[in-house]
Amino acid sequence: MPVKSDIFKIGSAIPRADALSKVTGQEKYAADYYSPNFVWAGVKRAGVPHARLKSIAVEVARKLPGVLCVLAHKDVPGSNRQGIIFKDQPVLVDTKIRHCGDAIALVLAEDKPTLNKALHLINFDYEPLPAIFDPEKALEERAPLVHEDHPEGNLLQHISVKVGNVKEAFLECTTILEGSFEVPFQEHAYLETEAGWAYLAEDGRLVIVASTQTPFRDRFEIASALGLDIDKIRVIAPYLGGAFGGKDGLTVQSLLGLAALNSQGRPVKMWWDREESFLAGVKRLPARMYYRVGAKADGTLHALDCRLYFDTGPYAHLSSEIMALAMEHTGGPYRIPHTSIKGWCAYTNNPPGGPFRGFGVPQVTAAMEQMIDMLAAKLKMDPLEIRRQNAVRQGDRNCVGVTLVNSTGALDCLETLALHPLWQERKKWKESAGPFKRRGVGLACMAHGSGYGPIIPDEANAKIELTDEGKLRIFCGVSDMGQGNASTCLQIAGDILGQDADSMELILPDTDRSLPSGSASASRCTYTYGNALIRAAQAFKQRLFERASTLLIIPTSDDLSLIPGGIRHLPSGKEIPLSQLAQLMDPPERTCTHYYRAPVAQEKLELHSSSKVFGLPHILFSYAAHLTYLEVDELTGEIEINTYLSVSDCGRVINPQIYEQQIQGGIAQGLGYALSEDFSVKEGKGLTTDLSTYIIPTTLDVPEMVSIPVEIDEPTGPFGLKGIGEISINGPLPAVANALADACGTRISRSPFTPERVLGAMKEKALHEVKP
Amino acid sequence: MKISFTLNGKVNQIDVPSARRVIDILREDLELTGTKEGCGAGECGACTILVDGESRLSCLMLAAQLEGRSVTTIEGIASEDRLHPLQEAFVEHGAVQCGFCIPGMVLSAVDLLQRNPNPTRMEIRQGLSGNLCRCTGYQKIVDAVEGAARKIGSKKD
Amino acid sequence: MLPHTPEELWEVLRAEPQAAVYAGGTDLLVKLRQGLVDPSCLVCLERIEELKGVQEFGHEVFIGTCSTHGYLLANPIIRSNFPVLTKALELLGSPPIRNMGTIGGNICTASPAADSLPPLYVLEAEVEIRSKNTSRRMALKEFIKGPGKTSLQPGEIVSGIWVKKAPGYNLHHFEKVGQRKALAISIASLAGLLRASENGVIEEARFAWGSVGPTIITSPEVEKALVGNRLSRPILEMAACLARSAVEPIDDIRASGEYRRLVSGNLMVHLLTLQREVCH
Repeated sequence: MPVKSDIFKIGSAIPRADALSKVTGQEKYAADYYSPNFVWAGVKRAGVPHARLKSIAVEVARKLPGVLCVLAHKDVPGSNRQGIIFKDQPVLVDTKIRHCGDAIALVLAEDKPTLNKALHLINFDYEPLPAIFDPEKALEERAPLVHEDHPEGNLLQHISVKVGNVKEAFLECTTILEGSFEVPFQEHAYLETEAGWAYLAEDGRLVIVASTQTPFRDRFEIASALGLDIDKIRVIAPYLGGAFGGKDGLTVQSLLGLAALNSQGRPVKMWWDREESFLAGVKRLPARMYYRVGAKADGTLHALDCRLYFDTGPYAHLSSEIMALAMEHTGGPYRIPHTSIKGWCAYTNNPPGGPFRGFGVPQVTAAMEQMIDMLAAKLKMDPLEIRRQNAVRQGDRNCVGVTLVNSTGALDCLETLALHPLWQERKKWKESAGPFKRRGVGLACMAHGSGYGPIIPDEANAKIELTDEGKLRIFCGVSDMGQGNASTCLQIAGDILGQDADSMELILPDTDRSLPSGSASASRCTYTYGNALIRAAQAFKQRLFERASTLLIIPTSDDLSLIPGGIRHLPSGKEIPLSQLAQLMDPPERTCTHYYRAPVAQEKLELHSSSKVFGLPHILFSYAAHLTYLEVDELTGEIEINTYLSVSDCGRVINPQIYEQQIQGGIAQGLGYALSEDFSVKEGKGLTTDLSTYIIPTTLDVPEMVSIPVEIDEPTGPFGLKGIGEISINGPLPAVANALADACGTRISRSPFTPERVLGAMKEKALHEVKP
Repeated sequence: MKISFTLNGKVNQIDVPSARRVIDILREDLELTGTKEGCGAGECGACTILVDGESRLSCLMLAAQLEGRSVTTIEGIASEDRLHPLQEAFVEHGAVQCGFCIPGMVLSAVDLLQRNPNPTRMEIRQGLSGNLCRCTGYQKIVDAVEGAARKIGSKKD
Repeated sequence: MLPHTPEELWEVLRAEPQAAVYAGGTDLLVKLRQGLVDPSCLVCLERIEELKGVQEFGHEVFIGTCSTHGYLLANPIIRSNFPVLTKALELLGSPPIRNMGTIGGNICTASPAADSLPPLYVLEAEVEIRSKNTSRRMALKEFIKGPGKTSLQPGEIVSGIWVKKAPGYNLHHFEKVGQRKALAISIASLAGLLRASENGVIEEARFAWGSVGPTIITSPEVEKALVGNRLSRPILEMAACLARSAVEPIDDIRASGEYRRLVSGNLMVHLLTLQREVCH
């Protein structure tokens, strides 16, 4: 598929603009920065889950040849506190250690071996404290307190939402089912671990190049933590080697800033090795979910009562928001007139919880989609039928009472799936299992709300420039962590401005050059920035036409057309190259910016909470229906996924190739979450500490995937699109659970479904069947 | 220790500690940051290079072992005027997302196609089973290798 | 240190008795990174040609210690004579690891989860151990003393493995259970070598289990239970029970002992799928 001279067109599967530099090894990630006189920075980590820090012995380390300095909390000039909403995390621990990965000291050294030696030589004196590792227990009376000064003890957030009258509603149900589900930590396991590079520029400003999803917001956190002026901080975000939410917020940035302030003018490099990433990086919040679902005799859902417990570990990070989003999705994409949804998010001394693709929705989708299947089984209904019957349509309310005013394709996804050969031929496939194998198929239907909710503005500032050479310079305002939004910016701008790859340039997020545009998260990157960019491009097009018509001495700009590198007057054929036009425009005219803020839900919910809730409710949802073919070995418990089908409503498809990339990638991560990623913690210490013990899928573990878009135009979206980054990760765990139940009649309440758990469950079931 | 080896077709002389990791020599001493580190322990394949044409993990190889060898990194597989067919295919088929696994993945694919010029999709998966990717779910990578194999094969006819 | 000949090697080992010896580095260099070993000196065997290659000597085959798994997988002598070994090597690690890791390294690391060991046990392999002035052969099952422990003395290396051809055995079986399908340390594995008559009666059987004991487990009871019988479900279930008594698995991060014990037996039952191969 030739790329070079094709005008970018919305809807085309144009290969990504960043693919070339990545496939040749030329692209520089934050981890790829080196220079002749750089210094390594590394962190001494606590290794104990809960303790009072008494003293730190750094002298021996300091004296090691090759060590520039060893810094501790007293060397942090600002508040020494960071955090997105609550600033509860120290840059370097001062009084209390709250998890094994807490940072005790920062070392600057000439080379890696010296750095590691120095880190080993640092000792610290501490008084161990009783620790807490269970979120439900953390909320009990006598539980050890993670933050002693926190008014609600270990409760970070409690939210309670209801619709209608669930008590009475249950009395009206003919079938009531209960279920409890437990989901574990999940490690992002991006190939590029947390990394960055920092130096003090000649003008004294701090420059940080980091693998970060949040370059603009990072400055605020760094400024207050280190006592610096925001304007004195520049953050640059190159392409990230994966992030998935794990680089939403500070990882290396404040440590790098502190290092650069102490490196005697030399640039500093920090690159967490894999074990440190496991130890100190945030993880998907584990959760326990207790569900009670009631339905009428014909399968109509009538009541939902659920209690959710989330474990945020030592710091607030974005966990309250994660729980809020989860709560909004507890009822799935279904009409449920009466609900009572309660969530508690608790501090513990476990590893730190934080954003991970899906942001709470994978957890509750795992629960609800299994409840639906259990209900279908009880009512002897087809699992697809019961979902169709209850699926929301535009205008319905979701389980927290918000009206679904925007495009709502849940039913369309289910109906498309119903017609697919994989659904039609499932019985035949199931019946041809080989010796010792059992086969099953499983469904999941899901929604995913995009954006930040009603309070934090989901906004972006797009910027386009016409350079001296006549190239259109597109500023990508939102970090590209692999999802291809930078390329999509080019495609959007290229489509509107009639340009091709040769006549455009792309600038990645840089707080000195691009404009604040929010985080790369919440499935909002292309929606929000795209909307701003479209408006900027359209405005710029108008301005270019106006200047061109002046220069071409024509009365109106109506007959002008943008072509790669120029503007053509169609009736006369006269052309003006953009490079010439650029010369004849004043510099301020050559930049065009536009602001966009995403609409938010206006409805008030029946909601109570212990502290302010951000991130609930949402107004824009993507939908999907998944189907998996599963085979399980009766003798070993090993599961093999034969095929995976996803049908998704993410609005219109701007680029089919990028669309499939997102769906396929999310499914693979979801399958890992379902089958093999068994993050293991004992008393706050991780037991799966690297990629040899934390098992992510290889090429042989991910099946062939079929991905079908249901293109329902979303009028508020750029070219009709909706978010796509997260929806597909919500499906695999429940689809697999449902397929396993179909294959061998057993459900396992705790995931992942490792061979050991599966074999154990099959054995249990066999025992129960033998007993009278 | 003075070591002489061929790197991307050119003879190279370096003087480094004999136990320095090859990945560090490539990235830090020779400024070829195309080879990536993902785990340092042989578990992810991001550091894959070709040594005498065979895929090896540069995080588990020491400087002394370079002597007399011919090493190819991602920077060395394109020719003067065009990309390697695998590189073209990876771009075309959308096999590149964050891209961090890609240099290692491409070199493993080079090794695979040298041994098996016409692999089935399952054989491609087996050939790349030592390279972890967290973004793509592997499908488009398999598509790309299949496409490249076809192209290379048809050129030979 | 990169000796090119055995003579250079002996010299190095004499000068540095505490040196750590490696070939591919896929085990040692990982341990080095973890800080589990801190040797004064590293010696790499990869350039010593005499330590590589596969040679036939009548009914025996000699495999040079520095032969990589990838080399062995492609070698016609290995492929035609020892399918049980080939099947295991295909599942070991991953392609680049197979290009680097050697059979000698797999043996000397002596992990109970090593994939090449169960096949070598059923093939009744012998290691050849050399030092500057000595050379001896020893049964592999005696050479390995415990997890990570071998009979190697200072100044010695394993120079190769002697394996007798097993033409009488017409069924070569290897199965491995792991947490995923590649780059997986075995949770339980089974190598089997069987001879079945034309009508499917087992005349001889050898089995070895991996990852379910401090070293590879063998069981004459299991083998005896099969001899004289066809591979039927009842016979295999009985053999499975015996297998579960023979193994001594522990709990670790990958699996519990209980699961390993259960599966060690179940892997015997899986042999039922061989029945089709037997009766053609």
